[in-house]
Amino acid sequence: MARYILQRFLGMLAVMFVVVTIVFVIVRVAPGDPAAVMLGPDATAQDVATLRARLGLDQPLVVQYVYFLGQLLQGDLGQSIFLDRPVTTALAERAEPTFFLTLFSILIASLIALPIGIYAAYRRGSLFDQAATTAAMLAASIPSFWLGLIFIQFFAVRFGLFPVSGYGGPDAGFLVRLQHLALPALALGVVSSALILRFTRASMLDVLGDDYVRTARSKGMGEFRVVMRHAFKNALIPILTVIGLTAALLVSGAVITETVFGLPGVGNLVVSAVLRRDYPVIQGALLVIAALYVLINFAIDMLYLVVDPRVRY
Amino acid sequence: MSPLKCALLVGAGLAALAAGPALAQQKGGVVNVATVGEPPTLDPMVSTADLVGIITQHVLETLYTFDKNWKVTPLLAEKLPEISPDGKVYTIRLRTGVTFHDGSDMTAEDVVASLKRWTQVASRGKQTAGNIAAIEAVDPATVRITLVAPYAPLTALLAFNNSAAVILPAEKQDNPMKEPVGTGPYKLKERKPDQYIQLVRFDGYKSLPGEPDGYGGARKQYLDEIRFVPVPDANTRIEGALSGQYDYVDALPVEAFDRLKGQKATEPVLLKPFGWPVFVMNTKQGLTESRDVRLAVRSALNMEDMLAAAFGNKEFFALDAAMYPKSYVWSTDKGTEGAYNVGDPEKAAALLKKASYDGKPLRILTSRQYEFHYKMAQVAAEYLKAAGFKVDLQVVDWATLTQRRADPALWDIYITHSPFLPEPALIGMLSTSAPGWWDTPQRRAVVDAFNSEADPKKREALWGEVQRVIAADVPFIKIGDFNALSAKAPKLEGVVPAPWPYFWNASLKK
Repeated sequence: MARYILQRFLGMLAVMFVVVTIVFVIVRVAPGDPAAVMLGPDATAQDVATLRARLGLDQPLVVQYVYFLGQLLQGDLGQSIFLDRPVTTALAERAEPTFFLTLFSILIASLIALPIGIYAAYRRGSLFDQAATTAAMLAASIPSFWLGLIFIQFFAVRFGLFPVSGYGGPDAGFLVRLQHLALPALALGVVSSALILRFTRASMLDVLGDDYVRTARSKGMGEFRVVMRHAFKNALIPILTVIGLTAALLVSGAVITETVFGLPGVGNLVVSAVLRRDYPVIQGALLVIAALYVLINFAIDMLYLVVDPRVRY
Repeated sequence: MSPLKCALLVGAGLAALAAGPALAQQKGGVVNVATVGEPPTLDPMVSTADLVGIITQHVLETLYTFDKNWKVTPLLAEKLPEISPDGKVYTIRLRTGVTFHDGSDMTAEDVVASLKRWTQVASRGKQTAGNIAAIEAVDPATVRITLVAPYAPLTALLAFNNSAAVILPAEKQDNPMKEPVGTGPYKLKERKPDQYIQLVRFDGYKSLPGEPDGYGGARKQYLDEIRFVPVPDANTRIEGALSGQYDYVDALPVEAFDRLKGQKATEPVLLKPFGWPVFVMNTKQGLTESRDVRLAVRSALNMEDMLAAAFGNKEFFALDAAMYPKSYVWSTDKGTEGAYNVGDPEKAAALLKKASYDGKPLRILTSRQYEFHYKMAQVAAEYLKAAGFKVDLQVVDWATLTQRRADPALWDIYITHSPFLPEPALIGMLSTSAPGWWDTPQRRAVVDAFNSEADPKKREALWGEVQRVIAADVPFIKIGDFNALSAKAPKLEGVVPAPWPYFWNASLKK
């Protein structure tokens, strides 16, 4: 088992190294120049060249890469070109909105998807099941930013219930900040619920036909108890896996939603860093997102180890 | 007069007196301003981005600025400079009693250090540096600038808020700037990137006396705070205006005009005219190095169709061959006859034949960061194809465009726009080092004559000559005039439509 864990861990490190290298090369090979963005439209070529030299961007790619790796091994993601602070600080500042957005989106998605998915599986083939499956397909097809704009139209502009964008001003308390998260979380939650709903339904269908469910029923157990205690409990592992992966996806996948709602989260940071060509921030943010993915996958692998003894050998 | 009439008159008089103060602007309140994004820096010397100027003009001030008629007017200087008869020595008297946000007094030493920094780090300052022999303090309230040769745009350059000659304390001249400490009516309290920039009233501010006059005159600090909030998505900015979340919303797509009309929470603000879209030609290398090809491009284009595609309603654009619209002293028709809105494919084809055009693709560089650039490019491409051009429309993001345009091997035309600048010498494309690299003996003769003439009336005539040479040589093509749309809450008073909106003199109705 220790060998299995070590293998997975080494694999994780290899993936991270490849990600780091690809990200480093892609951001530098892509056209665009942070110096030109910083200096504005009327800057001369000489000004741009001077600033490039100051930022170390005039060095050969290999030299920049070795320097970057050296910094990384010391836990230093570098200094943002535009934000006047270390990348780690910039990421830490953006963690709160992204964390709560992910949390609430997953909560909303689960609250929608789990009961509907369970009931749709229980009433397989019924009108409710068909309606739920169709609704899930529709929700999966809707881009979250579009849904976000529709929600803004109704809940913010027409009814004035929530703010349109931002994350509150300097005097905004936690509750005000949460208010700013309501619409984006709802938009992401509705869209994310589709996948969870379909997984829940499929997973429940698998277990509802199993012998132990029939046995439970034959013992005279109430239907609610049969479904929730026996069937759902056993269907939960794949559902939790998909919820976990959806959460990981939301950390990076909320990029457009965060931009539409002007939320200063990690996704928004990535978008503005790409537009400004803030190389250290792009590298740092993508590295953290990739690490998150890899870690969640690693955790799932470990979970399988616990759940399924066959993996150990 | 009957007692009743007398009572009514007295009552009406008292009511009028009571209404007087109510109509006056009130102090207090926080204004939320939605901007197009996060500024790349808060140092307006190093950046020429409009967004940087819009925000920092509240914090950092220049020696001069522009009044409502776009004439240079004193700001930190006491009056306009005394210029020696040979046009080479500018003596600038400074206002006294002006303090920086750190509490220190502004003196000639700060001004000299700041102007020297400007000549070292600002692109406009560097262009001027070659013509500056010395910048020195005569006494604590007087600065002298000695030029190598007469250079009339100097005061306008010192007044401009873009690549700006802002005055900083002598001991705070770091590059990159550590903190924006200036003399402005508002000071920086907090910057949370992509969230807000919070400016608060500077209690030690010394305003000019009298009444506001454009960017000049009195700067009244009614508002307690100004918060600039980046809202990069244009649709979200529109909704933010409609919901009343933002008191002022900058840079809206003109299609939003009808939605903003008749609303409770917001109203449209139209700046008419705002600026001009322009096709810049690469005169250094490639296809458009040939003047005949440049003439062919201009002859092929139908500006009316391009503007209609870009801005839709005629309320938002105007056909205008002159470089400046009628409301500016620089407006002149010189050289424009037959050189605008031609849309004649046969004429263009004949010019291409004359230029021995061999079907090489004409590379047009544009971006969808500004959707109207892209729409114009699409229409232009069709007109150019009709004239016989093979067109390679390269649509890239703005950062890529600004990088590629610096390399003359990569493009033939790039699309940009500019607000109408108060002084023509500030137009970047007139510089030989700007992408386009227009540098001919004719350009040199007319631009140098324009830049060295001090007499305002003579300069107006000389600008006509510059425009004539531009029309003849086609280093760039002005497409027309366009208007800018913003939105403001009805409760926000005292905001004057301006290319770089400002919020001193603004107040909130309670």
